[in-house]
Amino acid sequence: MEEKKTVRKAGHSIVRDYLVLVMIAALVAITAIVEPKFMSGANLVNIMRQFGPLIMVSLGMTFVIMGGFIDLSVAGTINLVAVVTISLIQPLGQAPALLIGLAIGAVCGILNSVLILSSGALTQAEALFITFGMSTVYSAIALLYSHGSTMHFWDIARSKSLFEAIGGGNLGFLSVSFVIFLTCLAALWVFQAKTAEGRAICLTGGNKTAARLAGIVVSRSIVVIYTICGFMAGVGAIVLFSRITTAAPVIGAGYETNAILSVVVGGTTLKGGKGSVLRTVMGVLLVILMSNCLDLLGVSSYMQYAVKGAILVFAIWLDNRKQA
Amino acid sequence: MDTQGTEVILSIRDVSKSFPGVRALDRVSIDVRRGMVHGIVGENGAGKSTLMKILSGVYQKDSGLVVFDGQTIERTTPQESMKRGLAIIYQELNLVNTMSVGENVFLGRFKEMKGMRGTHAKARELLDSIGSKVSTTKLVSELSVSEKQMVEIAKALSFKSKLIIMDEPSSSLTGEEMCELVKIIHQLKEQGISIIYISHKLDEIFEFCDIVSVMRDGHVIDTKPKMEFTRNDLITMMIGRTIENEYPERPRSVGETLMEVRSINTHKLRDISFTLKKGEILGFVGLVGAGRTEIVRALFGADKVRGHKVLIGGKQVAIRNPKEAVDAGLGFIPEDRKLQGLVLPFSVESNISMASISNFTKFGFIRKSLEKGIGARQVKALAIKTPSTKVAVGNLSGGNQQKCIVGRWLEISPSIFIMDEPTKGIDVGAKYEIYMLMKDIAEKGGAIILISSELPEVLNMSNRVLTIFEGRITGEFDPQSTKADIIMSAALGMTGGCA
Repeated sequence: MEEKKTVRKAGHSIVRDYLVLVMIAALVAITAIVEPKFMSGANLVNIMRQFGPLIMVSLGMTFVIMGGFIDLSVAGTINLVAVVTISLIQPLGQAPALLIGLAIGAVCGILNSVLILSSGALTQAEALFITFGMSTVYSAIALLYSHGSTMHFWDIARSKSLFEAIGGGNLGFLSVSFVIFLTCLAALWVFQAKTAEGRAICLTGGNKTAARLAGIVVSRSIVVIYTICGFMAGVGAIVLFSRITTAAPVIGAGYETNAILSVVVGGTTLKGGKGSVLRTVMGVLLVILMSNCLDLLGVSSYMQYAVKGAILVFAIWLDNRKQA
Repeated sequence: MDTQGTEVILSIRDVSKSFPGVRALDRVSIDVRRGMVHGIVGENGAGKSTLMKILSGVYQKDSGLVVFDGQTIERTTPQESMKRGLAIIYQELNLVNTMSVGENVFLGRFKEMKGMRGTHAKARELLDSIGSKVSTTKLVSELSVSEKQMVEIAKALSFKSKLIIMDEPSSSLTGEEMCELVKIIHQLKEQGISIIYISHKLDEIFEFCDIVSVMRDGHVIDTKPKMEFTRNDLITMMIGRTIENEYPERPRSVGETLMEVRSINTHKLRDISFTLKKGEILGFVGLVGAGRTEIVRALFGADKVRGHKVLIGGKQVAIRNPKEAVDAGLGFIPEDRKLQGLVLPFSVESNISMASISNFTKFGFIRKSLEKGIGARQVKALAIKTPSTKVAVGNLSGGNQQKCIVGRWLEISPSIFIMDEPTKGIDVGAKYEIYMLMKDIAEKGGAIILISSELPEVLNMSNRVLTIFEGRITGEFDPQSTKADIIMSAALGMTGGCA
């Protein structure tokens, strides 16, 4: 009886582990048959480009969710980082602008964690509202800073080669943004799977109280996860505006929900504790492919929202079923 | 006192109730008479609360008969019981904090009261009848605990209750507030209302109960008029069970002083100071809520406490959070294994290695092979029954889960081991194994602070016990030379009464 149960459990999780891959394969196969344009070179490049910003944000979000929290402020962070960075290229030069942009992302994350810790908000729901509020704050600062106007690359007189490379350059046969993605993925995977702090984050996500009583510094883990998330949102912002060569103070809208969707669909549980940045890569791939396929199949964008929502609910439902 | 003459308002006959693995009530019979205060006493887990929940309809009884006011009650709900005239005032009061006093008294019955004006007027009458001056328009959140209790009583009266059950009503009252409550109880009695008064404070029982029932392990041991009991009778009946050979011989390895704790003060604790010796098991005896857990949590840095001093080996150490406690050589088995001790979905191995992560990391990187060794070593050393160290710890039995937590700490060999209810909810065999581990730890020079709600356990394992009552240490005893009932009296804070 007991044995049977464990066997069934194991079978269940194998299905779940590969479900994302199965869904990706099915999606690709069906769309390729119905709409041959899908496999065209132009479309694949398009997919790779969309992959860039979302994967950065989602990688960071993975840590927050693994640690048992959530971060809705990434949209605001992206807005702020984008407008500030682009505006600093002219006065300071491109390298300082880049560094300051990344630093702003990290500082936004640290600020979130400090607010969460100092208010004693130790549940996911409380973190959700705090970061939602902070998203509005960051967006408002972005709007005030930019006076609500969109800034363009062609307005900048100084060299912006760095950003042009991030936006469209190649390193060998890989695009620069893809190399950035691989670098971030490798670093974050090692951090998550191989370091003591990565373990502490997982344990914090699994059971904050138990982790704390076992001598793990939970508050440090919380600062670390939000800092990573803020920093990666900053990276995402830079990749994003480099590709579209303009930065509006509303550029990040929708990234928070898409990132959470990708992380959860990838198989990182919203309950915290279990997950992986590798899973998130699959989740992002599915989300991007899906909207690409639906575009090609002529599904309206309103309908696409419904599909996305349904998939998120399904992923959470599946996750709860597994834990029950 | 004539206890036979008055009519029986509530008759409980052979009521039994089982929960998975526990027989919470075993053929319990009690008669409550009109206009009497009927005290029910017993240790934690004796079955008092289960019985009350059956009466109010929160639980359904498995078998037996309940007759209230001439009506046989089979299945009921809390609402129905209220309407029948059987009200319960729970320890954690059931009021809506954001509504006014009047609204709470007539919650959901505003129409019957002809709107708000009627509601407040009627609530005023009821509150006046029990001598409470609380304004009916005040928000409940602004009331003191005793005022809230008054509102609960007014609510009970609004249903024309014939029987009011009070579950540990005094647990959060000050001395003065308690005297108020006593007055009201006398008034209710005069109106012919019966009261079941549940408590484990014997002073209260002797002060105003007419009849007393003693419960233990789901049985009613005896029901008699108060006058026929002596204090010692009650205590002996409450502790009851003869202590069998379910404990190993206590360790004989007490050495010199290892830790000194000086004046922990919080809103709940008053000037807690004690010492702990090397190789000693120090037991904390007290009721749930007496402050035992708060003391060890303060010591371990789990709750924010300031101003106290901790000396280990003669040197003062600052413990402001659990990390610093671990660094100072403390280990902690929390009272709730699943919520505070384990990360249930994680493997046996990572649950064991949790406290010793720094032992198997180099430059911040985890060395998996070392971690594997730690898991395997503790599983073997403590004979943890698990198919592999990779299995989720949630799949193990309670005893084996607890051993994982013990193993977690053994890995960093703490010099001071705090165990809060280490054998709660685990079976007898596993308990014995935990006792052997404790003995072993002490004999190897470790010191243990043991908290347990099972009195025989503390008395049989400890070299020394401290009794704790309402946040104060009320005594220090050698359990080998002191009678259990003397220790129990100290733990029940048997001094004073109402002025």
